[in-house]
Amino acid sequence: MPPVQLFITCLTDSFFPQTGEAVVEILQRLGMDVEFAPDQTCCGQPQFNAGLRKDARAIAQHTIKVFEKTSGDIVTPSGSCAHHFRHNYLELFEGDAEWHPRAKALAGRVFEFTEYLVDKLHVTDLGARWDGLLTYHPSCHTLRGIHVDRQPRMLLQNVHGATLVDLPNAEECCGFGGVMSVEHPELSAEWLKRKIYNLEASQSPTLVVTDAGCLMHIAGGLHRLGKKRQIIHIAEVLNQR
Amino acid sequence: MGTFRQRIVESINNQTLQAALDANTERRLKGRAAAFESIPDWRERRQRAHNIRADVIEHLDEYLHQFIAKNEANGVIVHRAKDANEAIEIVLRISNIESRKPLIAKSKSMVSEEIELNHHLEKHGINVVETDLGEYIVQLRKEKPSHIITPAAHLKKEQVAQLFHEKLGIPYTEDIPTLTATARNVLREVFLTADIGLSGVNFGVAETGAVCIVTNEGNGRMVTTLPKTHIALMGMERLVPNLNDLALMLSLLPRSATGQKLTVYTQLLHTPQPNQTRHLIILDNGRSKLRNSPLKESLYCIRCGACLNACPIFRELSGHAYIGRDLSIAPYPGPIGSVISPGLLGENYVQLAQASSLCGACKDACPVDIDLPKLLTRVRAGQSLKDDGRQTMDDGAGLMWSTRFFLKAFARLATQPKLFALSQKFASFGSFILSPRSQWMRLPAFTGWGYSKDLPRFAGKTFRERFGNGKSEMVNRKVERQNVPDNDQQPPNVSTFKPVNLQEQFITELVALSGNVYQTDNVTQSIIEYLVSRDSTKIHLQPSVLDETLLRNAGIDVTYEADPGITVGVTKARVGLADTGSILEADEELLGSLLPEIHIAVLKSSDILPSLPDAMPLIQNKNAVFITGPSRTADIEMTLTIGVHGPKELHVFVDVSNSR
Repeated sequence: MPPVQLFITCLTDSFFPQTGEAVVEILQRLGMDVEFAPDQTCCGQPQFNAGLRKDARAIAQHTIKVFEKTSGDIVTPSGSCAHHFRHNYLELFEGDAEWHPRAKALAGRVFEFTEYLVDKLHVTDLGARWDGLLTYHPSCHTLRGIHVDRQPRMLLQNVHGATLVDLPNAEECCGFGGVMSVEHPELSAEWLKRKIYNLEASQSPTLVVTDAGCLMHIAGGLHRLGKKRQIIHIAEVLNQR
Repeated sequence: MGTFRQRIVESINNQTLQAALDANTERRLKGRAAAFESIPDWRERRQRAHNIRADVIEHLDEYLHQFIAKNEANGVIVHRAKDANEAIEIVLRISNIESRKPLIAKSKSMVSEEIELNHHLEKHGINVVETDLGEYIVQLRKEKPSHIITPAAHLKKEQVAQLFHEKLGIPYTEDIPTLTATARNVLREVFLTADIGLSGVNFGVAETGAVCIVTNEGNGRMVTTLPKTHIALMGMERLVPNLNDLALMLSLLPRSATGQKLTVYTQLLHTPQPNQTRHLIILDNGRSKLRNSPLKESLYCIRCGACLNACPIFRELSGHAYIGRDLSIAPYPGPIGSVISPGLLGENYVQLAQASSLCGACKDACPVDIDLPKLLTRVRAGQSLKDDGRQTMDDGAGLMWSTRFFLKAFARLATQPKLFALSQKFASFGSFILSPRSQWMRLPAFTGWGYSKDLPRFAGKTFRERFGNGKSEMVNRKVERQNVPDNDQQPPNVSTFKPVNLQEQFITELVALSGNVYQTDNVTQSIIEYLVSRDSTKIHLQPSVLDETLLRNAGIDVTYEADPGITVGVTKARVGLADTGSILEADEELLGSLLPEIHIAVLKSSDILPSLPDAMPLIQNKNAVFITGPSRTADIEMTLTIGVHGPKELHVFVDVSNSR
């Protein structure tokens, strides 16, 4: 059986390594041979989104080369990075006879973590245990970018002991938006306020996300306001026994 | 850059504006969702609509050629305008200002906003009056529309009340029906005395030359019918190949724009009225350039405004905060505006595209499936044309220097893994120095991030360090795999087929829109009884629709001439449409349903068709209007008010005498 490659993402690598460990443990428990290409860095989405395509292209070429040396599916605990590989890499190399096929080959190997579990491994119950309420924030690029929504919800439904409650206006962006959160902090702050308001309305002490970006943003807002709610990546919930 | 941000802060801090915007957003989103429930195959329709628009833009020259030739054959005078100046020149020439300054009655047109037509006409002493209620309000306030569909979406009723009190001299009232009735009275005079009617164009139909204009208030019908001269102003991209494609677009446009199944008045104009001159001005103004640029897809837009309502940015800002570097308000706001404003009008508006989280709500809402997030990243990359005609394609546009510097530095690191790992160590070390006791760092507000949130400390040991040499050393503990039912298909596109009674469906739909329906096997007698109950003794009647001897015997005076003094108009409805509760009127029926306050239509029960596409073969070369309920507006606080410029009441008498 070919190994599974992990694209850890720069945010998870630098800020939330425990998420990455949960992903590894889950995949291993499912019998996968997990590999981590140590030369990987970032997918280049911040540069792409900011319009710095030359830089985004350089990072993309680096990433493509790193993963061309590996085999197997590439799993990433981020809908946003998965979306970047699938859509924006093709956009970056449109009309490039050498790099477009290479980008396309890479894009075909990439799966968001929950998508991989449910659609590729056909697993919906990981035997996880979590006592109490959970609510789920569908990250924009997971929900609307790669149309993954059913998968994380299914996995959360099957967490033993947990009750999944609705997050009001769940599909609204939390206001992270990568560069937007620093280019337009005032707008970002308004959405964050609304997301936190809705989170409190959900009554759930714990918010589950599929992306380190949203996690960092919402958790950072809660900390600034001195509010005690937990924001956690889905991999860590699914790895609870 | 600072100024755009200042405008954003002003909008966010304006409580009145925020309340108005929240109300607008909520109602529009709900309305749209409800309207789409009645077309379960909307995904397929959306894809078809996308393909039609793509085909039109791809073969625009051919379609334009066909459309113009048809219009000329139909007796319409067609003008092409390369840019704003040429379009304004043409309007001035038609207005013949040397002899007399004309009065122009105008219905909504985004193209006229794009070329700042009113401003230029007023400079030449021409009195131009906006007749859409929302546009009229913003014109009185000397503002620009803040939304492409609801121009006064930024205002509360108190502000409109004060405005009408000051400018129109009525006693202060916040009663929306009273405010609406006031506008009706003032503008009725404008319709009846205007020298020129000026309208926009929602769609042009290449195959027949039809100009399609949709309005809810009925002002579109007035300005295209009453004045001796009608000028239609359209963007050159607004074509559909044929009437069937138009029917598809019309199933999506009003649902997306206002949550209606069909707009109250959906007009199809082919030939000028008797004694009327019609001019059609087709505007380029950057569209040809846009068509040859990577932003081409933005030309598919049908101007429904759904992306504005769905956009979390627009929800905070409203249209007035979308400004260029020169502080001018962009003619098109919202996600589509942040693409086409720089796309059509240049670098000045490039900064708008940075204000987006690329959340994709706009793409989801778009009825023609324009990939707006992709286009926004293209504008950010500098792919809209620079003022000197250059394109940079990939080097960022509208970005703050600090963000640019950081991202460029980060990109250097990201291509050198060893340096990347080292910089992670530095960052981690730095963050422990900055914040030795907390997991969180408080950055100053100017960093952007520090404005409203804290930053987590970098991990002491990164994932790559924890993982080790690239091969995991953890023990494999296997669990059972299960099979997952494959229910990831999207809902089926085929609607569950239920036979419907067309007449019942027609009645249900029309009554829901505040229309009145009566089923009778003696139409004249029933209408007489109705007229007597309303004390109506004089009606404007379309010849041979009712038994006139019976009418005269009942003491009802009949005239065939349109007369603004008559309150009841009786016409024949050619067909009814069951799924929208609409009636079709054409040519000789048009006047009877235009001016009177009460419109009575006679419809044979056997003439009720299932849906709009079924009626399209009847249009041929006629001037036609699909009427869907009495005239209405929601321009003040999104509050539905029945009865604006068109009839306040619609009564359909369904003749069932042949169906028994």
